[in-house]
Amino acid sequence: MFVSMFTSYPRTLVVVAALVMMLVLIYGGITEAVYPMLLSVFEWLETTWFGVIGKTWGAAFAFVEAVHLLGLALLGGCVLAGDGRLLGLVLTDVPVNTVVERTHRVFVYGLVICLATGIFMACGVATKIYYLSVYWFKMLALSAGILFHFQIRKPLLSHDIHALNPVVVKMVGVASILVWFMVAATGRWIGFSG
Amino acid sequence: MNELIYNLAVWLDDTQWSTMLHESYYMYNWVESTHVLTLMLSLGMLFLIDLRMLGLALPDVPASRLAERLNAPMLLGFAMMFITGILLFYAVPVRTSQSLWFRIKMVLLLACAVNAFLFHKRMSESVSTWDIEPKAPGRIRFGAMLSLAFWSIVVVCGRFIAYDWFDCDTSPNTLIDIVSGCVDGQTRF
Repeated sequence: MFVSMFTSYPRTLVVVAALVMMLVLIYGGITEAVYPMLLSVFEWLETTWFGVIGKTWGAAFAFVEAVHLLGLALLGGCVLAGDGRLLGLVLTDVPVNTVVERTHRVFVYGLVICLATGIFMACGVATKIYYLSVYWFKMLALSAGILFHFQIRKPLLSHDIHALNPVVVKMVGVASILVWFMVAATGRWIGFSG
Repeated sequence: MNELIYNLAVWLDDTQWSTMLHESYYMYNWVESTHVLTLMLSLGMLFLIDLRMLGLALPDVPASRLAERLNAPMLLGFAMMFITGILLFYAVPVRTSQSLWFRIKMVLLLACAVNAFLFHKRMSESVSTWDIEPKAPGRIRFGAMLSLAFWSIVVVCGRFIAYDWFDCDTSPNTLIDIVSGCVDGQTRF
């Protein structure tokens, strides 16, 4: 029975396992134990090529910041167009599956740009962001966003969307917009902190 | 001309609301965050339309339909960016008006507007012949590439405004000082 349940709901189990792990990390005191150990990792990040370039050449760092914003615009545009279609707000005369599938492809490019430039930027200011709680909130939101998009939204919407409960479809759209807005907003607030 | 802009900026800087906006930590940051986050709505929609013309996004959706349907949210995004952009300028008028990057950004915004006008004109003239093709004709694709390039540089310049590399009180380069509009003997930066 257990095996059959695992094969039927692998993604649901991954999400539940991730949530349980997060709760154990927070309430099991593991976060407090791991956090000090991460400082050496962040110090090391500043000594990498990315870290040295980011700290030495302000113009390079600023340029990568701008590319990060362009990636965010691309990612956000796909989220708003795809989820806006789920909510019946935009492109209502285009089949919903078409919009969701096609925007997903472009979304992946936006996410890759954001992740690549984000890693570079993090290396340049690693020992600063280590102490910023808003940075950790952003990482949590980003993890939630990626997990939600690839483990819940995409598998669910790869079926015939008209066969799904409309309330569920709309909730997926709202949740997706909120989680990516949270990622972007916490990311912006990093610049105002520290 | 530069002196006129400087005097106007100083006058704005002297107004009470400008000082209040500049000195309000949360209000200024909220306005700036809104300006940045609205990129997702304005440029996000614009990128989808341009990429559609290049055959890189939603190639099986009719081009005219995509452009028409995403036009309203895109313009809403640009309206919000425009309002928050004016507020950001109003909060720091002297330094912003004398920023090399801000000036390049303004010229590029003008170029973006002209390009958008020509793009829509050419598109409406010919779209019926290629609407369902995955790629637009060469002229439209060129307009889309220009749009992507211009807007990308606008974002880069916008980001660079935050840095003080060529500020009037730090820049030792005469040519950059002239382009930035630095005024001899100015006391406000």
